[in-house]
Amino acid sequence: MNEQEKTETLRQECERILGESKAVASAVAVHDYETGFHFSINADRRFHAASTIKVAILLAIARAIDDGRIRTGDTLHVRNRFLSAIDRTPFRIDAESDGYPQLHKLIGRSARISDLTEWMIVSSSNLATNLLLDYIGLEEAHRVLRDAGVSGIELRRGVDDTKAHEQNFNNETTAEGLVQLFAALRGDFLSKSSRDMTINILLQQRFNSMIPAPLPSHASVAHKTGEISTACHDAGIVYLPEREPYILVVLTEVAAEANGRRETIAKISEAVFKTLTGQEVKA
Amino acid sequence: MTSPGELPAVDGLTLSPEHRAVLRPGEAIADENGKQHQLPRFFFEIPSWEEAHSLRVASHFTLSELITVDSREADLLLRTFPHYVPCAILALARYLEDFRREVDAPVFISANGGYRSPAHRINKGVSFHNWGTAADIYRVGDTYLDDEKSIGRYAEIAASLGAEVRVRSYREGDDHLQVDLGYLILVPRECSES
Repeated sequence: MNEQEKTETLRQECERILGESKAVASAVAVHDYETGFHFSINADRRFHAASTIKVAILLAIARAIDDGRIRTGDTLHVRNRFLSAIDRTPFRIDAESDGYPQLHKLIGRSARISDLTEWMIVSSSNLATNLLLDYIGLEEAHRVLRDAGVSGIELRRGVDDTKAHEQNFNNETTAEGLVQLFAALRGDFLSKSSRDMTINILLQQRFNSMIPAPLPSHASVAHKTGEISTACHDAGIVYLPEREPYILVVLTEVAAEANGRRETIAKISEAVFKTLTGQEVKA
Repeated sequence: MTSPGELPAVDGLTLSPEHRAVLRPGEAIADENGKQHQLPRFFFEIPSWEEAHSLRVASHFTLSELITVDSREADLLLRTFPHYVPCAILALARYLEDFRREVDAPVFISANGGYRSPAHRINKGVSFHNWGTAADIYRVGDTYLDDEKSIGRYAEIAASLGAEVRVRSYREGDDHLQVDLGYLILVPRECSES
């Protein structure tokens, strides 16, 4: 299949899958390192980033390690008190809805930054995320994104900031922005050790019902999901031993009560795999 | 070393320029009302983290509990030894022991919640923590102090220990009880202020 045929096939498949879904808006972006093939639909449309924003914080942490500002054994005081980006009033992360409730048992004590980073990505802990963002600072995270050449990602605040959400002051991303972000993680922006660390953390992702779900068992995916009531996303790098990897980003906006949102992203992942590799998906 | 009495006390003014830069011994700093206060000048020298762990400064508190800091502390105090802590830390330990006896439960002092240097990056202006006379208590026994009721209950007990003890009243979103003894400075007998 040449590039034009791939583009046309993917466009038709994505439009069919998304058309059958309950998504009210969607975006898809693909970058294939095997061939240099690039594909996108609505690549520059902005979405609430949900937990995909945590990958931007991961990049900033890794860069701080490279710059010598953080050492892997460094610790942070664990507390559950954050200030809203809207009016600086305090808010907390609910332990019961946090992806890593065990971290809440460490409140008042300290935790290693390397562990917090892992919990932020692998278990999508909101508490770990806000602790790390408070530590690294918004401005520093912006600087790292800029230096990495990542545009299309607006990191504005920590997560679970209800007041900010009510005022529509949210972290935002585009599909192309996430492709650039994962490309920065994989490329030369980070040292080899930091690159290996970030990819290994992303490979340990616990939530695997979207991009990885339809892929053959020998595939591994370094990815991060993002789900809130009105958005469902997955973005990451798909590794296959027989070829160079590809980056896939699928962003969807959905009605709060919509079912089947994860399945939609899984179907797009399957279509992308088939189109890029020419292989059928095997169990 | 088994007792606080064996800790060597040092005049901060005799320390290396690097240590003086982060500890600022005897320096005057202004609080939010413009009032000047002198930072501690005399410190105990702690040779190693192991010593801090094993040294009991009160029956139920080791020195390590009062000097645990996170990555926002100055590198020199975070990663290297000897470490220095104002001598008044012993008075704080004594009050914490009294508090523990009153509540009859373990008292957990947080990271950054005992002594932290003036160079610590979470300082905003003058902090009693820079004198080693303040403690942030996040937990008493199994109770996390993260609401008005629990903070108020233990604040009352802490305040009852003496007029010199001040507790910060609850503010919306507080997640710990802060207790302090003010700008208390302890000068060891073997040291001279001249």
